[in-house]
Amino acid sequence: MRTLTYAQAVNEALAQALELSEDVVVLGQLVDTSGVFGTTKGLVEKFGKKRVQDFPVSENLMTSAGMGAALAGMRPVLVHHRLDFMVYAMDPIVNWLSLWRLKSNGQSRLPVTIRTVVGKGWGQGPQHSKSLHGWFAHLPGVNVAVPATAHDAKGLLLESIFGETPTIILENRSLFSMEEVVPENPYRIPFGQAAIRRRGQHVTVAALGIMVPIALRVAKQLAEESIEVEVLDLRTVSPLDRDTVLKSVAKTKRLVVADPAWRSVSVAAEVIAFVSEKLGRDLASNPTRVCFPDSHTPMSAPLEASFYPDDAAMLSAIRSVL
Amino acid sequence: METITHAAIRQSGRYSRLKIEGLSMELLRGLYRGMVRLRRCEEALMVQYRVADEIRCPVHFTIGQEAVPAALGLLLRKDDFLYSHHRCHGYFLAKDAPMGALFAELFGRTTGANGGLAGSQEISMPSHNFFSGAILSGALSLAAGSAFAFQYKGDDRVALAGFGEAATEEGIFWEALSYASVRKLPLVYICENNLYSMYSAQVNRQPADDLSKRVQAFGVRTFTLFGNDPVAAYEALREAIEYARKGGGPCFLEFYTYRINAHVGPESDDYINYRPADEIEFWKSNDPIALFEERLDHAGLLGRSERELIVAEIDEEIDEAFQFARNSPMPADVDLEALSRSCESPFAERHLPLSSVGDFDETQPVAVLAPY
Repeated sequence: MRTLTYAQAVNEALAQALELSEDVVVLGQLVDTSGVFGTTKGLVEKFGKKRVQDFPVSENLMTSAGMGAALAGMRPVLVHHRLDFMVYAMDPIVNWLSLWRLKSNGQSRLPVTIRTVVGKGWGQGPQHSKSLHGWFAHLPGVNVAVPATAHDAKGLLLESIFGETPTIILENRSLFSMEEVVPENPYRIPFGQAAIRRRGQHVTVAALGIMVPIALRVAKQLAEESIEVEVLDLRTVSPLDRDTVLKSVAKTKRLVVADPAWRSVSVAAEVIAFVSEKLGRDLASNPTRVCFPDSHTPMSAPLEASFYPDDAAMLSAIRSVL
Repeated sequence: METITHAAIRQSGRYSRLKIEGLSMELLRGLYRGMVRLRRCEEALMVQYRVADEIRCPVHFTIGQEAVPAALGLLLRKDDFLYSHHRCHGYFLAKDAPMGALFAELFGRTTGANGGLAGSQEISMPSHNFFSGAILSGALSLAAGSAFAFQYKGDDRVALAGFGEAATEEGIFWEALSYASVRKLPLVYICENNLYSMYSAQVNRQPADDLSKRVQAFGVRTFTLFGNDPVAAYEALREAIEYARKGGGPCFLEFYTYRINAHVGPESDDYINYRPADEIEFWKSNDPIALFEERLDHAGLLGRSERELIVAEIDEEIDEAFQFARNSPMPADVDLEALSRSCESPFAERHLPLSSVGDFDETQPVAVLAPY
């Protein structure tokens, strides 16, 4: 049983994708030299500068160019060290990639994968830490994944590269060193399938990204009090696995959504909305959200630490619905 | 005329440098046919636009700007990619995409190039490698990506993009130009400088009428021409396309021209008084079709009866395109959500096994980030 870190799993997925098809290229600033926190390390040595190309500081162009290359039959992977810089690319994402399949009446396929790292900790501050998965999920026509573990990071990345839909994958920097058993062969995880990480009958916690390890730790702690928490890892927010959430809440009748993003108009809000639409009358208590405050991230260490919900915040949220 | 600018063109009076000597009849015929086909097509659509309220989308007509698309139509290969913007009918026809698919798209019918989902300003025809969109400059940056793919694959294909001078006011234009120059991409940019962005003159928006000079600073080869001369357009485009195809790198062509019709729609917008009447008259007297016909008459080539035959043939094609559009069904019961996203992954399914959930150990520590 071989374990890899999250960063190594992403790296392995990229290497295997480059091996599987000549149509795959990895583009991004310094993908050939910096290693992007280990995720592109060694790729240029193995596949050369043609397949793993540095790109100018032109996020907007890189994204449109990725789409233009996909229209010409390629499967580009675009890499951003920080999501915040990728906001330069909102035009190609919003005005072109997301609507192209509809506008072409289903004739065009756009296998463009956008990998973007979200910073957390060590004073990343408001311009290095935004997690805009809720924004992107609001757009029809784009797949959005927030993998929490090494196994999922590899499988979702491969599925995206060899799928047919433009995809944005948000990887939180703080997860990069976490390990998991990862199969050596290439494999895929379909979008729109949540993972049931822990079974329980008293309360459902639907978690995403960095909130998943927190939810699991707290669930283990509560099990000692005979409170059984069902922990769902949503994994992809577009498409969203509504069925798995509904099935779980139908059983537990209690819901906590843990979404690593601002609270308002968020994926967390969407989850509570669709659960309320289907099961509102059956709920035993008001659902609640564990999210970031509706504020940008402060730099100073104590403020930063209090900005991100911790185990105690999760514990109190779960207790509030019991 | 040493330096070409809009002012210099006005100053030098009616254009007199159109040369057709030594050109093949096939080329003359092709250029004439291409221009007249686009003109008749636009005029017919303008007439029909309001009649029965069948065209319910913004249409940006292109009367007066026929020379460049006509020339381009004779030079493109089917496997070249052509990107365009909202004023795209000339480019659509230049890529040999069928007129019926254009008309049906404007009519919102299922047989339109995009099943009626895109309309005039965003029409595409992937089977003909033709793509357009209404957000200024977006398409020209896609062209850079296609050029990248052609170079990567070692194809001798060229990616081209047509746009107006206002598109160069977006930052993405310069990003693309810089990248294309660094990578020597097989990319041809065709800028039709028609002086106005909607109702705003270039002088209000740009420091000077010297776009080609600015582009040259990026190490990109430029061509600057009077844009209503179809022969000059043909020769410059041919040279630029060959240069890009042979690996010379990107080219930028600036064609000085003028839009006679309104920015959008079939009615005149000159009631806004955004452009002087004598300027409009000047450009009407430099109509590319009239200039060309004059030279043909002078040289005794492609006589009146031959030209009438060409026009009759075109009019028949236009009639058929209208019939095709009108006889085609409106879309119904389209699953828009399903159409927005492909849920199929045939390649992934073929090559990769499924895996469900890993065995995640939640007791391990979260990363303590080092300074970076």
